[in-house]
Amino acid sequence: MGAKRPIKLGVLYSRSGDYAVLSEASRAGAMAAIAAVNADPALDLCFQPVECDPKGNADAYGPLCNDILAGGARHVIGCVTSWSRKEVIPVLERHGGTLWYPLPYEGFEASDHVVYTHACPNQHLLPLLDWVLPAHGPRGFLTGSNYIWGWEMNRLARERITAAAGEILGERFLPLGSREVGRIVEEIRHARPDFILNNLVGTSSYAFLTAVQALGRDDPALAPGRCPILSCNLTEAELPALRGACEGLVSAGPYFRPAEGGAFASSIEAAAFAAVRELARLLHGRPGAEAASLAALLGDGTGGMIDPVTHHTALPAIIARVEGGVFCALKTLPAMPGDPYLTHPRPAPAAPQLRVVS
Amino acid sequence: MRHPIRIQNLGGASAIILHRPHPNVQALERQLRAIGLTVSQAWPDLGPEALGADFIFFDADMGHDEQFPWAPGESPLPMVALIGSEAPGRIEWALRAGAHAQLLKPLGDSGAYSALLIARDAFDAQRALSVEIADLRRRLDERQTVVRAVTLLAAHGAKDDAAAYGQLRQMAMAWRVSFEDAAARVVARHTAGQDEDDRRDRG
Repeated sequence: MGAKRPIKLGVLYSRSGDYAVLSEASRAGAMAAIAAVNADPALDLCFQPVECDPKGNADAYGPLCNDILAGGARHVIGCVTSWSRKEVIPVLERHGGTLWYPLPYEGFEASDHVVYTHACPNQHLLPLLDWVLPAHGPRGFLTGSNYIWGWEMNRLARERITAAAGEILGERFLPLGSREVGRIVEEIRHARPDFILNNLVGTSSYAFLTAVQALGRDDPALAPGRCPILSCNLTEAELPALRGACEGLVSAGPYFRPAEGGAFASSIEAAAFAAVRELARLLHGRPGAEAASLAALLGDGTGGMIDPVTHHTALPAIIARVEGGVFCALKTLPAMPGDPYLTHPRPAPAAPQLRVVS
Repeated sequence: MRHPIRIQNLGGASAIILHRPHPNVQALERQLRAIGLTVSQAWPDLGPEALGADFIFFDADMGHDEQFPWAPGESPLPMVALIGSEAPGRIEWALRAGAHAQLLKPLGDSGAYSALLIARDAFDAQRALSVEIADLRRRLDERQTVVRAVTLLAAHGAKDDAAAYGQLRQMAMAWRVSFEDAAARVVARHTAGQDEDDRRDRG
């Protein structure tokens, strides 16, 4: 095989700011995949990363993405929050570029210019609610960061919990980056819910989880065994930031690192790695394909992990609890296609385990 | 009171795009399929299958009344106008045709989902209001019947108009019909059978 064709790949992560831990995990996966592609003699291309750092400022994403695309790259990996993803979509449209977005998100999007390689609600939130309602009870308390992720995740949770004859005892939002969790924690202390859904992000989430953990030590009714805190974006990547205040947390995701060690440190890393590897696979053996639109790239019956209609990926859903600092699976559902608009029938939740009394 | 919007149940819904073949149509079709709808195209006319669809997206630029198998503004399903030329005449036509929401051309990457939800909500609200208005109008038309019924009851035993009015209300409750329907029965009985039915009325 001759020389590898160099292909520019934008890498757009905030390496400082409120959600830098998530960015670093995702970036590590992307960089590992770039190194693997570049070292793979079976691929006829190599990636040249073009890195930009918006430093956690949502308004910087659009201009920086513009710089990347104007510099000749067609594909970009990164963005951590939905807020930043929505900032870059108009730029992608203008340049005919593609964002590979490898983080869990709230769904209700299927852009022509975005590939979604992490989970959406039918792959995280809904399986999590299916598990918690029968296991812990129907009364939930909802929290979230004050932007589209928190709003939409809590709206959906409210809809599903109410439909299951459950009850929402409270719903509170904090601005991104705020650590002012005292009021919410007080409300939870009085409301005494059966579970807490945590859609806070980054530093807010760490402050909240630490405070609720302390609450659970004082009041057994709010200890994690009775009233678990649920997340759809909490992974191994953020456990160090919690400094031990993570025991009993329950999270849903497509991958958790096995205790005996696994290929990836977290699903955040794995999804970014998979995205870059899949891009390399789609470009391999197709000189000039790096200039093609995403639709053309996916259109030739190339197969692979990306659904050409929704641009989402099929992923398993694992419900796992932190035990001894490690996520242990409580329930594992087989891979299911991403259903961003929740318009496809879902597999029926497992029937409650009733036994005939004789 | 405002009813909650219907967000679910778009999966498996069908949409017909009434537009000549065009890249705009492809972009819209991709969006709708990604949302989970089945999509078909029609041009220049909507066939009878339109009556079985859940949404119509219609071209406001080249559209005209004869394309639709129903009278203007009387579509039995939500309609979304695809507007390219924002000329007042075309917007006026699209509104008269019964647009419940609109999308601007050129159609790109987004907009279809909100258009679906807004159109369905506007359609539901319009239909609920039409039913309510028809009912109110009918009841308004029955005012004269109510006056006649009260007069008849007052002439046949009730001590005054207020008592007759109360008696009519009791009858409506006993028969589980509207006040106006009860009045219509009273008038019909007094004018047709005269007093011979009265005993049954009170039974």
